[in-house]
Amino acid sequence: MMFSKTILALTASLLLPVLVTAQAEKATKLVAPKAKSEMAEKQDPAKQAPAKKAERPPAPAFKMWNPRRPKDEASHKVAKWGPRGLPSPGYAFFAQKILPISSAPIFDGVVITKDGKIEAIGKASEISVPAGYERVDCGDSTIIPGIVELHCHIASPSFDLNDTVHPTNPEFRTLDLISMEHDQIKMARAGGVSTVLYIPGSGSNMGGFGTLTKTYGKSPEEALVRFPGSLKIAQAGNPERGSGDLGSGMMGMSEGIRMTLLDGKKYWQETLAFEAGTGPKPIYDPTLELISGLFRHEYPLSVHTQIYQVVLQTLQELRLELGIWTVIVHGTFDGYRLSEDLLAAGLPVAGGPRAYHFDRKDGSFQGVLANYANGGKLGWSEPVYGLGRDGIGVNTDSPVVAQEQLTLQAAMGVRMGLPHEWALRALTINAARFVGIEHRVGSLEVGKDADIGIWNGDPIDPRSYVRKLVVGGKICYTRDPNRPMW
Amino acid sequence: MRTPTLFVLSLALLTALDLPAQGRRRGRPSRAAPAPTAAPAPKKEEKKEEPKVYTAIVGGDVYLGTGQRLTGATVLIADDKIDKVGHNLELPEGTTIIDAKGKTVSPGFVIVKGAGMGASFSGPFKDTVNPFAADIKQGLAAGITSFLAGSTSSRGRVGGSNAVIKLAYGDVEGMVLVENSVVGISVPIDRSAREKLETSIKAANDYLKAIAAYPAAKAKDPKAKAPKKPSGSDQIINVLQDKARLWISFGGGGFNPFRGMMGGSASTSDLASVREACEVAKLFGKSAVILKPMSAWLIPDEIAATGSSVIISPRTRQAPDPRDPQRSGSNIATAAILAKAGVPVAVTCPDGRFGGGGVGTNGILGQDLNTPNVDVAYAIRGGLSNRKALRTITLDAANIMGVGDRIGSIEAGKDADILILDGDPLHYSSFVITAVVNGKVVYEKGKEALYRHIAPKH
Repeated sequence: MMFSKTILALTASLLLPVLVTAQAEKATKLVAPKAKSEMAEKQDPAKQAPAKKAERPPAPAFKMWNPRRPKDEASHKVAKWGPRGLPSPGYAFFAQKILPISSAPIFDGVVITKDGKIEAIGKASEISVPAGYERVDCGDSTIIPGIVELHCHIASPSFDLNDTVHPTNPEFRTLDLISMEHDQIKMARAGGVSTVLYIPGSGSNMGGFGTLTKTYGKSPEEALVRFPGSLKIAQAGNPERGSGDLGSGMMGMSEGIRMTLLDGKKYWQETLAFEAGTGPKPIYDPTLELISGLFRHEYPLSVHTQIYQVVLQTLQELRLELGIWTVIVHGTFDGYRLSEDLLAAGLPVAGGPRAYHFDRKDGSFQGVLANYANGGKLGWSEPVYGLGRDGIGVNTDSPVVAQEQLTLQAAMGVRMGLPHEWALRALTINAARFVGIEHRVGSLEVGKDADIGIWNGDPIDPRSYVRKLVVGGKICYTRDPNRPMW
Repeated sequence: MRTPTLFVLSLALLTALDLPAQGRRRGRPSRAAPAPTAAPAPKKEEKKEEPKVYTAIVGGDVYLGTGQRLTGATVLIADDKIDKVGHNLELPEGTTIIDAKGKTVSPGFVIVKGAGMGASFSGPFKDTVNPFAADIKQGLAAGITSFLAGSTSSRGRVGGSNAVIKLAYGDVEGMVLVENSVVGISVPIDRSAREKLETSIKAANDYLKAIAAYPAAKAKDPKAKAPKKPSGSDQIINVLQDKARLWISFGGGGFNPFRGMMGGSASTSDLASVREACEVAKLFGKSAVILKPMSAWLIPDEIAATGSSVIISPRTRQAPDPRDPQRSGSNIATAAILAKAGVPVAVTCPDGRFGGGGVGTNGILGQDLNTPNVDVAYAIRGGLSNRKALRTITLDAANIMGVGDRIGSIEAGKDADILILDGDPLHYSSFVITAVVNGKVVYEKGKEALYRHIAPKH
């Protein structure tokens, strides 16, 4: 079994460059041109030999592949966006250090918020607080954007999100389960997490549609960011346990995922034809409608995929063959060996909750996030590019590990070699961009949602805690110094 | 001096063994082979007063484990013990110097409950330890130099078979510090078992009183019979005589997937159980150690009144059960609240279902022993001071295992179990550079594959 897997992996790895080139040429002008040419260079063995001595140029910046993404929220046809700019009091949060993420740190700064949005941010000496706004002195705190969690199961009292009625279950959705006063949502707030992608479990290959929700709001409707947040796919590494008509091996599982998505693709093409006036209106199907949104690039697939072999499959089948905006979540084990291929394909990775992988070949502990981000000789004889600053995210899989440990995942990334600044991005703007909500959250900028975490120190350090969390301009968590519950 | 002699001896040994070793491939091992080794033996006896082997860790910021820190200090080790700690120490001639300038020096971490790392699951440990187990290096890389192996719980009566294991890699003699320094009992205890326990404790106390009075009685009447020890009372007597510490754990409350999923088992350490644990401590009249009492943060003073200590894993999180106010759930501030009330606290990792207990290679982050400093970090997150926090995996942990006189701090006379790290021992990105156990260097980051490739960040 192991032997045949190895052969498969080897064959696949030999084939991959060829396939990537074929795909890149056939389907897309969308991979960053620089990345593409470098891919081609790497694949040519004749060119590769002399190139060994020369230093490779620095890796191209990661660019998310979702070319058909609608230009604004109003242009989305399938996805439903939650409300923005709901009434909230005017606040001016003063702090010793503000990390807006999208711009340089501000010392002795202030963030001014009202009606759910950030109105101003900058040095306290340069910004005047409008009349009637409450001044909140956060002292020596560090202010960062609210954290975005890309893989969790925490928003409902029901932990059982693994309904397996069919081998693939795109009919399911988490939208109806959300409860805003759930204990683990409270813990998310105490952990500085303001937005979560609440997805079904990995008990079946396709668990259903996840929901992007804030961790605070009077009602789930008020807290909604977007539905669908993503379609959850578990490519392998869990769904094996429930076999069905298709079997429970890799081939059967892939077939199930592919066929379901192809149904949606057909529906999408028929809809496009109808819209162009060249075909009849397809019979309305609510599930296929949601799947067609994936092909419109209105929201991504979030794929639970871990080991090298399966990440290869994710890249090959979902991103390259079907052309779907894909995000790897729950990225663990040795999938990082594909970092350069993922970079070229614009496929980002959120890693966790296993922060390190024990490499049995040399008995070393490898940092999953660090390797995905930095690249290097990841089991190859030649170094490969990493996903870089913009291609890496973090997730917890809470409640498997507590939601408050999202920053710990990033901390362990830093421990194993991820740059500190990248770790902060992974927790905020990168995660937001991976799922297409970076225009709302993920950094502190004028006009963005007033989601703000006020920390007593470096947010990456697990010893630090959240003093206050602001979501949608409302202070929804304040730590009681005498008896903090969470 | 000693090292070269030993080296020559072992060379001689190797040469002597060479031929028979080859022969072994074909047939049974030759029993006659070690004969030539008989010759060097008297040599060893000649020098009875072997000079001490001195090692000095020089120039590091030394965390003593007691709460204090000495900047740029020296730790002098003589053989396997700490000889002196301080500034401007006079080093004996021939002292091996380990430069720790710009680094930190900490007592080896003491983990109150572990598994693997060369130890078996139950005694006798001395006969079964494996000093070459691969995960010993992994434990050392995590900063662990000692841990309690084996079992510590037995429902309704005292029991358990355990030992404090040292990660003395390669040294079978140095691995078992002490056996059965802990005896355990688990609550809840049903009524009949409790009555039995009370009777046993009373019988043991009576026996101890009789033993104490026996010499006087015998002086009066030479025919006086020695008191008879009640059968099966050894472990209770050990607790009563302070030879072993009493650990009180909580029995399982059945599997509860939701409440147990936040990094821990769904044990029933609700408020009533924690109070029952305090009651059991009172039965013995001894300070006990209460294992992972989830609701302890509600009654810190009641626990302090029994003089007991507590083991917690700050990352094990349980939500309160809305149907049962007794099930208060966990609190991030538990360690801080207990410490404030004067309860000694030791910290360990969650014993979740994803690799809990050992160092492991597959554990989900935090549910194994690969990063004890991060478990402590969550106690600090809950309000425990940095200074007190290091004690939770050093001196207080050692006291909780009943071996605080031997390990857990850098003080003269204690075992030389010391770490050199590249930063604050409790910082998430600090790595162990060198680990010393029983005065010997047993782990060096630069020489082991585990974390060699990770560049220092400080």
